Amino acid sequence: MSLLQLIARRLLQLIGVLAGISLVTFLLVHMAPGDPARLLAGERASAETIAAIRSQYGLDLPLWRQFLTYLVNLLSGDIGQSLRFQRPVSQLIEQFMWPTLFLTVYVICLAIPPTVALAILGARRPGGIADQIIRLVGIAGLTIPVFWLGIMMSRFFGVSLGWFPVSGYGTGFTGHLHHLFLPAMSTAIWLVPVLTQSLRAALIEKTTADFVTAARAQGATERQIFWQTMLPNAVLPTLNLLGVMVAFMIGGAVIVETVYAVPGLGTLMVNALLGRDYYVVQGLTLVFAVSTVLITLLVDLLTAFIDPRVRF
Amino acid sequence: MNGLETGKPPLLEVKDLSVSFGDFEAVKTVSFTLQPGEILGIVGESGSGKSVTCRAVMRLLTGAARAQGKVALDGQDLLALGEEELCAIRGRDIGMIFQNPASHLDPLRRIGQQVAAPMIRHLGLGRREGLRRAVKLLEDVGIREPEKRARSYPHEFSGGMKQRAMIAAAIGCQPKLLIADEPTTALDVTVQARILQLLKELNRKTGLAMILISHDLGVVADICSHVVVMRNGEVVEQGPIDDVINRPRHAYTKLLIDSQPGRKTYGTADRPDRGAPLLEVENLSVSFSSGKGLFGGLAGNSNSFRALDGVDLTINAGETVGIVGESGSGKSTLARSIIRLNTPSGGAIRLDGQDVGALGGEALTAFRRRVQMVFQNPYDSLNPRLTIAEAVAEPIWRHGLADRKAAQKEADALLEMVELPRSLRDRKPRQLSGGQCQRVGLARALALKPQLLIADEITSALDVTTQAQILELLVKLQRERSLTLLYISHDLSVVSSFCQRVYVFKAGRIVEEGVARQVLSTPQDPYTQALVGSLARLPSLQTTPSAEPVSIHAT
Repeated sequence: MSLLQLIARRLLQLIGVLAGISLVTFLLVHMAPGDPARLLAGERASAETIAAIRSQYGLDLPLWRQFLTYLVNLLSGDIGQSLRFQRPVSQLIEQFMWPTLFLTVYVICLAIPPTVALAILGARRPGGIADQIIRLVGIAGLTIPVFWLGIMMSRFFGVSLGWFPVSGYGTGFTGHLHHLFLPAMSTAIWLVPVLTQSLRAALIEKTTADFVTAARAQGATERQIFWQTMLPNAVLPTLNLLGVMVAFMIGGAVIVETVYAVPGLGTLMVNALLGRDYYVVQGLTLVFAVSTVLITLLVDLLTAFIDPRVRF
Repeated sequence: MNGLETGKPPLLEVKDLSVSFGDFEAVKTVSFTLQPGEILGIVGESGSGKSVTCRAVMRLLTGAARAQGKVALDGQDLLALGEEELCAIRGRDIGMIFQNPASHLDPLRRIGQQVAAPMIRHLGLGRREGLRRAVKLLEDVGIREPEKRARSYPHEFSGGMKQRAMIAAAIGCQPKLLIADEPTTALDVTVQARILQLLKELNRKTGLAMILISHDLGVVADICSHVVVMRNGEVVEQGPIDDVINRPRHAYTKLLIDSQPGRKTYGTADRPDRGAPLLEVENLSVSFSSGKGLFGGLAGNSNSFRALDGVDLTINAGETVGIVGESGSGKSTLARSIIRLNTPSGGAIRLDGQDVGALGGEALTAFRRRVQMVFQNPYDSLNPRLTIAEAVAEPIWRHGLADRKAAQKEADALLEMVELPRSLRDRKPRQLSGGQCQRVGLARALALKPQLLIADEITSALDVTTQAQILELLVKLQRERSLTLLYISHDLSVVSSFCQRVYVFKAGRIVEEGVARQVLSTPQDPYTQALVGSLARLPSLQTTPSAEPVSIHAT
């Protein structure tokens, strides 16, 4: 009951957030250096051509009229035309979105099982040998730069051993799995230690929690205590961290996608930036912002589902 | 009442139980027995090993603890059992409830599920049957609308209701023994009285044997037939409750009995000549916006909560005035408003006729020197990085009363005045006991030579013997320094033995005021009567029979 209320309230808030995001992305392009009309017309265009283009694109209208037009276009799914590809930005994004989404989900699937296993192993005996090793290897995984790891893994597994392809996206589900294994792995190697440390700390904190003692006093076995009491109580901080990380991965897939030449949003972003394709940059910023908002919403709802205390 | 005479075999026999953590022996060769249907009390101060003893019985201690000796339940040695057999006994034959019900309930699961869990586990019930019985149990322990409440989460319960739910979960499998570890310490007195009543009824109706651990001899005397007195991990005395209380053999037991609040009167009983009013509080109101009004469960359901609602009080110079009330009654809000930590939404506070709210600049600094406060938690209110001498010296040089060197010298004198040995002056707060720390808090408050000292529950976190020492110290200081004292406490008996006048607070209003003795002996307001009636006092002191019918329903 109150969960539904929460969802309704959060969706209402979402409208405000989305309006804010659209305003910021709109202003972003406006404040970028350079005149879009001049850019469209080319280097050697005459003043009349530029003026014509300006009125054709509505750039001579007052700012608020332009924003309204932009909003109306947004609502109908039109986020502009790529200057370089001469295609609608929405089409471009749709085309490049799937590899990134696939990669993100792939990373999550690769990262969560070892995270849970390692955190349990470490928390079982804090300061023990297993815990120390996990921590040291974790720090190593954290400190190795993703691009270096990517290059090394593609050299070793891709070139020397020939087990995995070193670039591209492949075709079909298994093809995607095969092609994206190395990029997903290089990201997960960096993600797992972060999540493990968070979950381990929470688990250790909950081992001494009073309600764990109470459950033990009621005759619960250690296994029941762990799965029914400790883990649900310890998982929330890690879940929130994961949300932040996933949002970051969607926007920050640039390095991995570039190294492995994955045709994803990161690659599109780099090319758009280099080619001064403003409307693509604007569209991508919008997509990254919206995906961050949606992931945060999802994490919040999951948190509320697990923890009744935050359902206010 | 006394099972020893029946010649039955004991339900629980603890013999030569020792528990050590590394080199530290927390419990040393403790022995006692418990007969079926009996209630045994274990009293002692914090660190006396009473909780450790009971956790050793349940085998709930961490891996670092080693327990030796014999703990036999119905002849079965619990210390020799394997993990699996233990799990079958815990919750099935022995139930346990804890001091802080709020932290011992799983915040993520519904109350009904938590009450049902031990029954589902031990009795092999289905979920539906378990829940049905859980609702019945909740009703038995006095929770209204049990069906609806079983679907609530712990954070939607009040403290007393949480403890009732814990009791329901503990008695679901009809155990032979219930261990209650300070079950009422975290609760208000009226709630405490109802929970004790509930435990007594359980014992009478079902013959459930209990071990009640408490630091409060009054509570133990109220409900137990036998008592074990512990100190520093050892049993110093044990026997039937009347013998121990009326004819204590050990010096420590005597001290414990003498330290009971209400047992002792402190030297301030002489009525003061009504001096000029030092502090006047007129029609004071303080509101907090709660913002949680959308959700049920909050009284009033409005968006702002009135912590104080039209409070009038006067404190004359040289007087000791007590303020009593349960948690949430607005006592601390009043104290914080007087020293300007809260902003009133209406009314006025005047010190010597000057409006405190209008002070600023130099006048405000002077005001801060004249009114000082000591806080409830001595550890939290001292800077952990300063030595205690530095902490006491700080206000002196900060107010420019002396340079740092002279301030240090003065701090030494102050520490001496609160009877702290010189050897402690370079310690950090963490290295002191609670009572020592509270003395530091007092010394720091007195450093500015205030006229009015506000003491907000300063002995609530302390053991009874320490509490008695601190109160004596306060009386001495008051005499020497002609202090005016505003003493805030939830403990009516402390206030009545210590203060000349008292105000009783309830829900942000004053319900009764008057001379402390009179308010305690002939309370007028129904709420004060309930408060007085729920005092758990030693039997020999019980002059007025507590015939007050106390509703055993949770509120």
